[in-house]
Amino acid sequence: MRELVIILLVLLGAPLLGGFLTGADRVITARMQGRVGPPVLQPFYDFFKLLGKERFLINQRQVFWVIGYLVLVITSLVMLCMGRDLLIIVFVMAFAAICFVLGGFSTRSPYSHIGSHRELLQMLAYEPVLILLAIGVFMQNKSFLVKDIWTRPEPLLFSLPLVFIAVLIILTIKMRKSPFDLSTCHHAHQEIIQGITIEYSGPYLAIIELTHWYELVLVLGLVVLFWAQPIWMGLILAAIAFFIELVIDNICARMTWSWMLKVTWTAGILLCVLNLGANLF
Amino acid sequence: MDKATSLIAILMWLPVIAAVLCYIVHSYAFRNILVWLTGITLATVSVMLFATGPFDYQPSVIWNGMVEAADFVLMVLILYLGIKNRHKLIINLTLIQIAVLIYFDFFMGPHTAVNPIFVIDNLALVMSLIINIVGSLICIYGVRYIAEHEEHHPVNKTRQPRFMFWLVIFLGAMNGIVFSNDLMWLYFFWEMTTLCSYELIGHNLDKEAIDNACRALWMNMAGGVAFALALVLLALSMPGQPLALRTLLASPGGATGTILLAVALLVLAGFTKSAQMPFQNWLLGAMVAPTPVSALLHSSTMVKAGVYLIVRMAPAYQGTYISNLVAVAGAFTFMMTSILAVTQSNAKRVLAYSTIANLGLIIACAGINTPVAISAAIALIIFHAVSKGLLFLSTGVIEHNIGSRDIEDMGGLVDRMPVTTMIVAIGVLSMFLPPFGMLMGKWAAIEASTQLPLVALMFVAASAVTALFWIKWLGRLLEGEPGLAHKKPEHLAPHYWVSLGGLALGAVIMGVMVLPIMNKVVIPAVKASHQNAGLIVQGASIAAETSRTIIGSFTPWPLFAVLAVVILAFWLLFKPGKATVKPIYLCGENTGALNSVRYLSTADQEVQSSLSNYYFAGYLKESKLNEFGNVIAIIVLVILLLGVKVL
Amino acid sequence: MGIIQKSQIKSPWLLHYDCSSCNGCDIEILASLTPLYDIERFGIINTGNPKHADILLVTGGVNQRNARVLRNLYDQMPEPKVVVAVGTCACSGGGFHNCYNILGGVDKAIPVDVYVPGCAARPEAIIDGVVMGLQKLKEKTSKKSEEAAG
Repeated sequence: MRELVIILLVLLGAPLLGGFLTGADRVITARMQGRVGPPVLQPFYDFFKLLGKERFLINQRQVFWVIGYLVLVITSLVMLCMGRDLLIIVFVMAFAAICFVLGGFSTRSPYSHIGSHRELLQMLAYEPVLILLAIGVFMQNKSFLVKDIWTRPEPLLFSLPLVFIAVLIILTIKMRKSPFDLSTCHHAHQEIIQGITIEYSGPYLAIIELTHWYELVLVLGLVVLFWAQPIWMGLILAAIAFFIELVIDNICARMTWSWMLKVTWTAGILLCVLNLGANLF
Repeated sequence: MDKATSLIAILMWLPVIAAVLCYIVHSYAFRNILVWLTGITLATVSVMLFATGPFDYQPSVIWNGMVEAADFVLMVLILYLGIKNRHKLIINLTLIQIAVLIYFDFFMGPHTAVNPIFVIDNLALVMSLIINIVGSLICIYGVRYIAEHEEHHPVNKTRQPRFMFWLVIFLGAMNGIVFSNDLMWLYFFWEMTTLCSYELIGHNLDKEAIDNACRALWMNMAGGVAFALALVLLALSMPGQPLALRTLLASPGGATGTILLAVALLVLAGFTKSAQMPFQNWLLGAMVAPTPVSALLHSSTMVKAGVYLIVRMAPAYQGTYISNLVAVAGAFTFMMTSILAVTQSNAKRVLAYSTIANLGLIIACAGINTPVAISAAIALIIFHAVSKGLLFLSTGVIEHNIGSRDIEDMGGLVDRMPVTTMIVAIGVLSMFLPPFGMLMGKWAAIEASTQLPLVALMFVAASAVTALFWIKWLGRLLEGEPGLAHKKPEHLAPHYWVSLGGLALGAVIMGVMVLPIMNKVVIPAVKASHQNAGLIVQGASIAAETSRTIIGSFTPWPLFAVLAVVILAFWLLFKPGKATVKPIYLCGENTGALNSVRYLSTADQEVQSSLSNYYFAGYLKESKLNEFGNVIAIIVLVILLLGVKVL
Repeated sequence: MGIIQKSQIKSPWLLHYDCSSCNGCDIEILASLTPLYDIERFGIINTGNPKHADILLVTGGVNQRNARVLRNLYDQMPEPKVVVAVGTCACSGGGFHNCYNILGGVDKAIPVDVYVPGCAARPEAIIDGVVMGLQKLKEKTSKKSEEAAG
């Protein structure tokens, strides 16, 4: 019964939270750029507008993969909220991202082809840190289960500070912020136009937007894990991380995929290895 | 003869009889029926054998002498092959083996008889299921495939009989390997598979095939030398005791001294058979062979013999420094070959590198040597055999259809061959994604690897790279033309329907049924050598436990339910009629036809928009990576062998 | 007014296409995106992709080649959509209407909803034009829903 309540809360509450955060993102970015910016509820207007558009498609598979993307992101968020095995959650997130990539590949469009490759490279960049996060959690807690993090008295941040910094680095990738917004070029469209989402329009694009809201809540949820007791400290930590990402986004230009891999694989993995190595001794 | 014994007899002798019949009767129709019947029989018998449970069997003593003699016949035959091909390495290695064998058989005094010769325990039953079910499906596929192959590559005198001979007799040799407790017998069957591999790789008879067959032969002969030396060392260091697996694994807490060196040599033999670094080149070269060979020998079965031996030996080197080195060597191969797979555009080479990578993962699990790790290793053996066999067979069908193995030529296959593409999709997704069995094994492996941080780090790097090369390939296959109409399923021969469909269905069903498989198959096999299995089935999930505390859990059925929801949601909610098909975006310069990927360029010339995958040629050079990998791997192996006396 | 109709006006995404403009009007359009004029206040985003766009801003006069391209882009925009011709050249061909290659204004290729004259059209005028386009969008969708209901 309790599980059902959690699932419903996640299903209905997370997109509201995610959409609101996306709107806040745009407003804060605008203020940083000396502009006024859109209303905070703008993402919801975008979503409903897209639902009302005419339905254009290239083929049926696009829709299938996009539904897979949505459902699997929701699944990993639900699993996180139910306290399941962190390693499995990381792998379900990977499956979700793969569905997105396959949707991008399915159209044989040059722009989405490049976008899909870049999305795969983004996955290559953040997967190691996420798995190392899971391993780091295990080395602290003797368990991979998220529910054992909640009952831990001391916050993970104190024993995994460098891992937290590595997670901040890949948070930039997951939130599709500069310098790592390579695959969809969320705001600057000069390079590969919309990249992986270029052949999606109308309601199907709305589903992708919705999925991004769930994903935002999911990755911020991973940040909350670093301070799970009391949870409001974790939420503050997530808010701080969110703000830091916005600052990074506004001061950095978009870089190349090879730069991204170099930075995440050296800095990200090195930080994790140093942290976990120090914890061993 | 009681029931179990007759089942063993069928599994050992039916392949031989069927193979000989295939060779002497030159009729496709006859071969067809024979292979179907043999396949179905072998599969059924192996299931019946599994149902009867573990037991020991001692064949009559005359067989001992015959196996010893057959060993020499085999060595002389291989020596002849070496001479025929003028290959110094083969000749030298075979001569060394003959010399060691002569010393072992004639100059070491009588060896204690091994009783029982055949020990069919839970691990052997698992392996026999894989060999006989997956192997039979591949043989069924093979009898049709080689007929088509010969249509495309005509020869003066048909080589199909000899192909099926070697393919089928190989199944008997594999059964022999997994049932043998007597190391001498195991050695014989081991070298028998080497011979089968040579004959099958060299099937096409062109220079490339023969060169690669010879390379496979000498590398496996090197492993054979290690095996023979191990036999001698064991006879020297365990005087009076039978040279059997059971004796070796009897002493708790691992072997010491010269016995440990012998174990290290056996591990080395396993490394060569499983094409781990630095021996990976023979497996890559073996890809020139017809696809059933690649599927049967070089992914599902023969290379599994190597990892089987290493997993079987795990209690013997548990707790010794060898265990750690085996883990490091396996993890290193896993990482390097995964990275190498990213650079390949030949689909079979991608599959070959992926096979070596997964074998490295299994070996690393054996090296970690905790109950969770061994459970992971056995689970991986099972699931990998099915998924990889499936992928190789599909590649064969694709190759016959489009005439190419290159991924770049496979674009848009989802429109022309929708059924095969869907089967490839199931194969690829089941290789590394939840909730399928391979991921369960990988999850358990990562959870177990926390014991050895270096190994964990290499696992992390390798896992990240796997998605890249799989999805690049799958994406290429799924690129299709604009259009909302359903594509017509292509025509597939019944052999292909049964083998591809069977394996695909098997991959999905085994994924769904992973809990009973753990309970009935994997956990009993692990309990044969460890007290507890590490992975336990709790309710609807598989929990990993260490020292009685649950460290992680995996619940497959809800995830399968989620996938079912996706498929249902798509099927029920999506109405193609409501959508309009539009062309892809080409900056407004589409030529006009809806499905056209051509655009108008300067002076209104039509240009084809061409796509190609990233192979990172500028960043990752196959030769450099191989060099680097080989050097490190050789260093690790040298420490493995020499360190016995030093460490 | 349903939430979808309300959102359609509050979230117009632009596609900006330059036919054969001297770039004067284009610079003014891009100026509207800058903090000084900040059209993101209205929820406007400049997308580069017709499949994501609601409003097509066209500058420059139409010739044979870009007539074809304009029609292609217009085709790939899902309904409801609005076309705004920005600048005198887009309205009627401007100073180049007599040239042998110029067919005329944008309405020679695709139906236009709003004309914004000027050489170059000022950002304030462009914003006015876009807002007028939104009004037309609202009229189109309410007409369509009336037709669907009646």
